[in-house]
Amino acid sequence: MKNWIAISAALLLVACGQQAATTSAPAETGGSRSGDFGPPQGEPVKAVLTSPPLVPPPTGRTAPAKVIVELEVQEVEREIAEGVKYTFWTFGGTVPGSFIRVRQGDTVEFHLKNHPGSKMPHNIDLHGVTGPGGGAASSFTAPGHATQFTFKALNQGIYVYHCATAPVGMHVANGMYGLILVEPPEGLAPVDHEFYVMQGDFYTVGKYREKGVQAFDMQKAIDENPTYVLFNGAETALTGPNSLKAKTGQRIRLFVGNGGPNLVSSFHVIGEIFDKVQPEGGTHPQENVQTTLIPAGGAAIVEFHTEVPGNYIMVDHSIFRAFNKGALAIMEVSGDARADIYSGKQADESYLSDKVGDLAPVAAAAEAKAAGKLTKEQQIAAGGALFKGTCSVCHQDSGQGIPDVFPPLAKSDYLLKDPKHAIDVALNGLTGKVTVNGKTYNSVMPPMSQLNDDEIANILTYVLNSWGNDGGAISKEDVQKVRANTKRAEGAAH
Amino acid sequence: MRHAAQVVCLVVAAACAHTAWAAQPAAPRAAIPGGTFATILPPAEKLKEATVRAFQMDRRTVSNADFARFVADRPEWRRDRVAPIFADAGYLRHWPNATTPGENLAAQPATQVSWFAAKAYCEARGARLPTWYEWEFVAAASATVPDARDDPQWRQAILEWYARPASATLPDSGSTAPNFYGVRDVHGVVWEWVLDLGSMMVSADNREQGDPDEKRFCGSGALTMEQKDNYAMLMRIATLSSMQANYTSGTMGFRCVTGPEPRP
Amino acid sequence: MKRILGILLALIGTASLGAEPNALPPDSLYQLQAALTDQDGRAIRLDVHRGHPVLITLFYSSCPAACPLIIDTLRATEKELDPATRANLRVLMISIDPGRDTAEALHRLAETRRVDTSRWTLARADSADVRTLAALLNVQYRQLPGGEFNHSSVITLLSPQGVIQTSSTRLGTPDPALVAKLGP
Repeated sequence: MKNWIAISAALLLVACGQQAATTSAPAETGGSRSGDFGPPQGEPVKAVLTSPPLVPPPTGRTAPAKVIVELEVQEVEREIAEGVKYTFWTFGGTVPGSFIRVRQGDTVEFHLKNHPGSKMPHNIDLHGVTGPGGGAASSFTAPGHATQFTFKALNQGIYVYHCATAPVGMHVANGMYGLILVEPPEGLAPVDHEFYVMQGDFYTVGKYREKGVQAFDMQKAIDENPTYVLFNGAETALTGPNSLKAKTGQRIRLFVGNGGPNLVSSFHVIGEIFDKVQPEGGTHPQENVQTTLIPAGGAAIVEFHTEVPGNYIMVDHSIFRAFNKGALAIMEVSGDARADIYSGKQADESYLSDKVGDLAPVAAAAEAKAAGKLTKEQQIAAGGALFKGTCSVCHQDSGQGIPDVFPPLAKSDYLLKDPKHAIDVALNGLTGKVTVNGKTYNSVMPPMSQLNDDEIANILTYVLNSWGNDGGAISKEDVQKVRANTKRAEGAAH
Repeated sequence: MRHAAQVVCLVVAAACAHTAWAAQPAAPRAAIPGGTFATILPPAEKLKEATVRAFQMDRRTVSNADFARFVADRPEWRRDRVAPIFADAGYLRHWPNATTPGENLAAQPATQVSWFAAKAYCEARGARLPTWYEWEFVAAASATVPDARDDPQWRQAILEWYARPASATLPDSGSTAPNFYGVRDVHGVVWEWVLDLGSMMVSADNREQGDPDEKRFCGSGALTMEQKDNYAMLMRIATLSSMQANYTSGTMGFRCVTGPEPRP
Repeated sequence: MKRILGILLALIGTASLGAEPNALPPDSLYQLQAALTDQDGRAIRLDVHRGHPVLITLFYSSCPAACPLIIDTLRATEKELDPATRANLRVLMISIDPGRDTAEALHRLAETRRVDTSRWTLARADSADVRTLAALLNVQYRQLPGGEFNHSSVITLLSPQGVIQTSSTRLGTPDPALVAKLGP
């Protein structure tokens, strides 16, 4: 009876566990069909626009409003890198353009103004707009003119906007992109800092960091071969005094866009992990992500919590872009050290590989030789240390060689009949058929050009006195004589 | 009686001056041969080429000084008298007063003039604005060849002008090197009005190519532009198609041509 | 002497474009003194219907698609008005194809479509004026190699003094915005 109860209880628990697992799918927001909260209420609101890297404050609205956005296009010449000037076409005078923040369901009355000093007409396609061209057809604006159109923000999310005047690639490559955030109706969770970062690729006639005024290079853009890959339109936009600043123990949110025109970004913050990522700016977050892909013409929202002070470098992890084209930004985090989380360097000492073994006897032998007091025992010890890792690779540690491949040195008749001949073999190598202990070997022993006279002498002395060999000794002078008298083979040391 | 005679003399003198000025071109015009060429704006859906009959084109853009003589002759085109339907608030606003451009601006290409004003100027000289095809035909030339449009260096040189911000000081009209036809200032100075501005039926969203809306233009959608890699020309069309006839701009100037009557 | 002066001044006056003694508002289209010929061969000017609200549009008689629809749309729009307003309204249709739309062609069209010529005028202008008119009315058109035209269809309402009140690109059914501007 008790067993039955136990089994039933166990089955019940399993069943409950399974049920819990199947109801964990996240709820859908319903997209545009659920995004129309009706006509705007209250007085029209003028949208607060910010220049990067700042983000406007949360709207704090709880009902749909009429929001007036006024954005001016300016063509401006600025530094793209130190000493390098470029004519950018901008929304609001900056690259990326001003950050726009509205709430889902808002009715946005969009005014696009084109500064009279502009050479080109411009328009705008906002990826958060439902309607033809994303607004582009309705906002085509000649220099010195302004246009207006109105749209309802039906979908929540973070969206790219960009100019769509022909040739579109050139307008985008000149910096005409930015982000518009359509807050979910309940708003975003509060954090300590929100920042606006946008990657773009730039194409100049001159090389990377070639000074002077640089023009746009159409062929490089078509070939997708950028000269610069940058965050916020300049190499120094977010470095040095322009670095982003935060403190330890803070929650950081980055709205990261990618204006392109061509490249996809592998966005990574060195030394941090994204606690939360809304990949592609979508609604449902992923957690614990190291590097997130941001499509060209796309964006993502990443959040992380700072624990350890230091400089955190943001990169496009297609890493040559970071170090050779400028895709680098810095967040300085200040605060107290946390050795329990990250200690910094604790040790730095010398390290020699196992294979090489302890070379102390070699040093001792060298000293003794210099003092004229080298003994056979010292030679054997030094030779043994050198044998390991050099000769042992083929002839093996116990000198037995490999059958049919490498001849043995242990009790080798070939060696012992003429030990001095071994000097020649070591110095000059040996190719072709040899018979050792009744077996034939036909291989190549390369000349030991890396060994000097002392080393050869010591190794051979070790060999002669190991594994039951007859003994004897070879001196440095013996080796010198052979070296001087034999014709050097090609590739052998002199 | 003397008073009346003086008035008559004044009137006659004015009439003579008007005729003299109107008949005189800025300089002998360049003779442009006719031809058929691949165009960015196809005349019809399957046709990629346009034909241009021989015509004569001003060798340089119309300058502020030229335009001032027109305004003196036709005071209804003064900036303080012109009807807003013919020119917007920016008309000749860079001139120090309503009648003269001043010494600094005199030789520079006339800008801040609307299509209506440019058209009236050319008509007053017994000429007309060039059509887009006439302009495109001449603009395809480099200094040495009649059609340099596939030359990447030629294209890049033009793109470089687009990359520079519009500056207050334009090079003097006629000061740039002549192209193959002996015409100057075609690239790198100002955009130029064309007669058939109303025919540039390009969608305001320039990405719409192959417009499925057949009813938009009574029997066709917006024009699909050819040679999409010829960015230099694409940008010129984008600019012209963004302008309405009474708009003025600091980078839009013009010149006149004489030749066969263009099609409507 | 004063008469001579007056004549001379008048001569100078007529040499220029559109300087009329009785003042037109600065944004009146009638400042364009376009010379037209109506369906009865009479020489008229653009301001032929000055003093009445006018629905003005560009078309051409051999147009296969939209233009017949324009006439229907204009009729349907008029139907929405009360008799007094309708009686005061004028319609001016100007051809973009003066080459083929001679006065006779326009006359034939007026008959075929039973146009009420007491209030509707079908007219032709020379090419240069057509281009200017199209620019003022924001109409785009382009002649195809075969002779037909691609053109945008726009019906514009002018005030009795020739100022643009509103315009519509809607074809087939009357545009409520246009009807509202016309009044009861």
